[in-house]
Amino acid sequence: MTEDAGLPPNSPPPQGPAYDLPPPPVSAIDDWQRLSKRNIALYPVLSIGNLAVPLVIAFFIGGRGEGRFFSGPWFSVVAVLAAVLFGIVPWLTTRYRITDTQLQVRRGLLNRKVLTAPLDRVRSVDLESGIVHRVLRLSKVSIGTGVDSSRIDLDALTTTQAAQLQSYLLARKQSPATGSTATAHPIGMPSLANADVDTGSPARGGQHQETELARINWSWLKFAPFSLASLVVVAVVGGFGGQFIGDISVDEQFSAVEGGWDWLAGQALVVLVLAGVVAVIVGWLLLSTLSYVLTWWNLRLTRSGDGTLRLVRGLFTTKTTTVEESKVRGVVMTQPALLRTVKGAELSTLSTGVGNGGTTQVLPPCPREVAISVGHSVLEEEGSLTQVLAQHGKWARRRCHVRAQWGTVFGVVASGVATYFFALPVWLPAAVFVGWAALAVALAEASYKHLGHGITDQHVMSGHGTLGVTREVLERSGVIGWVIRQSFFQRRRGLATLVATTAAGSESVQILDIPLPLAMSLAREATPEAFESFV
Amino acid sequence: MGVATTRARNEGSVTLRDPAYLVDPAAIRYWALKSLVSGLISWVVIFVVYSFVIPDSWRVWAAPLAIALVLWDLVELAVVPRWRYRVHRWEVTTSAIYTRSGWFNREQRIAPLSRVQTVDSERGPLMRMFKLASITVTTASAAGPLTISCLNTDVADRVVADLTAITSRSEGDAT
Repeated sequence: MTEDAGLPPNSPPPQGPAYDLPPPPVSAIDDWQRLSKRNIALYPVLSIGNLAVPLVIAFFIGGRGEGRFFSGPWFSVVAVLAAVLFGIVPWLTTRYRITDTQLQVRRGLLNRKVLTAPLDRVRSVDLESGIVHRVLRLSKVSIGTGVDSSRIDLDALTTTQAAQLQSYLLARKQSPATGSTATAHPIGMPSLANADVDTGSPARGGQHQETELARINWSWLKFAPFSLASLVVVAVVGGFGGQFIGDISVDEQFSAVEGGWDWLAGQALVVLVLAGVVAVIVGWLLLSTLSYVLTWWNLRLTRSGDGTLRLVRGLFTTKTTTVEESKVRGVVMTQPALLRTVKGAELSTLSTGVGNGGTTQVLPPCPREVAISVGHSVLEEEGSLTQVLAQHGKWARRRCHVRAQWGTVFGVVASGVATYFFALPVWLPAAVFVGWAALAVALAEASYKHLGHGITDQHVMSGHGTLGVTREVLERSGVIGWVIRQSFFQRRRGLATLVATTAAGSESVQILDIPLPLAMSLAREATPEAFESFV
Repeated sequence: MGVATTRARNEGSVTLRDPAYLVDPAAIRYWALKSLVSGLISWVVIFVVYSFVIPDSWRVWAAPLAIALVLWDLVELAVVPRWRYRVHRWEVTTSAIYTRSGWFNREQRIAPLSRVQTVDSERGPLMRMFKLASITVTTASAAGPLTISCLNTDVADRVVADLTAITSRSEGDAT
């Protein structure tokens, strides 16, 4: 490989997007490369897909107008041609290349723009193929570099090229200083340069040895209906259905059936409600199971010898997420209320530079033991998901109760006002008070029980939740700083809200109402260097 | 290690000392002037709303509310700046930065200098009247910027120079 861009080999790579850089002198390996030729087919199909609804509407509705320019069929034909044209332009104008130190992507027709990513800053490389992509055997590559900055997308390369690029980039960043592609990876770039042909299955992580951490087990499917995410889907579908039924009932305006309608409605109401409930339950079961299968088909979580974690999943849209393991700073195990009743849990990783808020869900709803054991193997430490957390004492418990009873105050005031204005029975506010207060006491006890913190040799833990329970585990070396927040009322009781700030995940892990001395010793033990001069 | 860890935690009587330095005394006047400006605006708004906007029948409960708001602004003007001055403290060592801020509710922030990414200083038009500057130190976490407000400009310049010198020495991308 020759010198890249005439720069001395050790000069720092330029950062951020650069505009109108003159193309540096290139060698055979450094040549600018196009995306796959199959994009010429991909983009029009995708953009027509996006335009499908307007086009169909234009075709049928516009077709009724006579002699106008925008009348249906012609407009549709023009639109399709435009879509094809707009599909080809990105392919013509996008080029990428890999130099000694950087990945460069050049795009734009009039506004030419060069994006550069230093190879040693590549944190994660994801592959994604939707249905159209898969028919054409293409993959979208998205490359995460900075901490929060946007990612570089290459949409799309052939599946083989994409897999090669992925393993090349990740292998390459292991040895950025050597500047030699030959030792970096056996697959090498020359094959990438002219391979617009698929050679069978996508290349794996090359010579590196893979350890499987998790694989989908279809007995987990029974947990699918206990995820509330699918309930939202059912509710949305139900909402549409309700509107549809509403449209039908416009018929009641026909005077001929008006009398009959009332009678029928009275009789049918009970049946309708029952049928509705059954429909929602069946719909929920079907949809949640279906979306579980679609999302988590063929799930594999592997750790390869070159220090990366790789997640592959999806039936129609396959998704491959690869992230450098040193950037995985912890995990979150969540047991949402419903899932907890059947001893299920979900698992996500907290990492830097992966986009999507830094949290990647790696396990679907599955048995809690599975989530725990996979979590431990991701963390490479036993116990941080099972260790009993230290509780925060009586003042924290009292604050849980006070917080919970605010709802009671609201309920009593609201029911009191309602009783006054609508002449409701006088015992109503009292009943609301007793019922609500009892419920709040139970909920407060639950949230106190789940509130806690802990520390192991490598991690700090935070637990919280009322009906659902969450445990966050953060690597000690991933802690960037500490925030100790004390409201007036916390200060009176010697409590604090301790926040560990981090670059991973949602950027902070919070421990509520922890007694100040415990907060101090936890923080000090986790990051001694920050505290040594302040105690 | 695990056993030792638990024991160390149970001893639990580690206390954090206060950061060493107060902010510049001119900060009291600056904070007071700032709340005077916002107080004047809110008094005008309260006066206009009370006299011209609301119907007469509302005055029964609007009058105490307006008085309370005006009094609150006076408290912010007279009491809060002094209170703040007692709470706000800061310290920078060779290894870490430590700040305390707030008045009614308080907040302490600590970050090791090895994790610092940028050091910004800021002086608004009002701050310039009192020769004050604020320093904000950001880390790779969006949740963790530390602000030392209202330092004397000379002190601020020196702190920024020191911080820049120390942080440029550390390697890595601070995540």
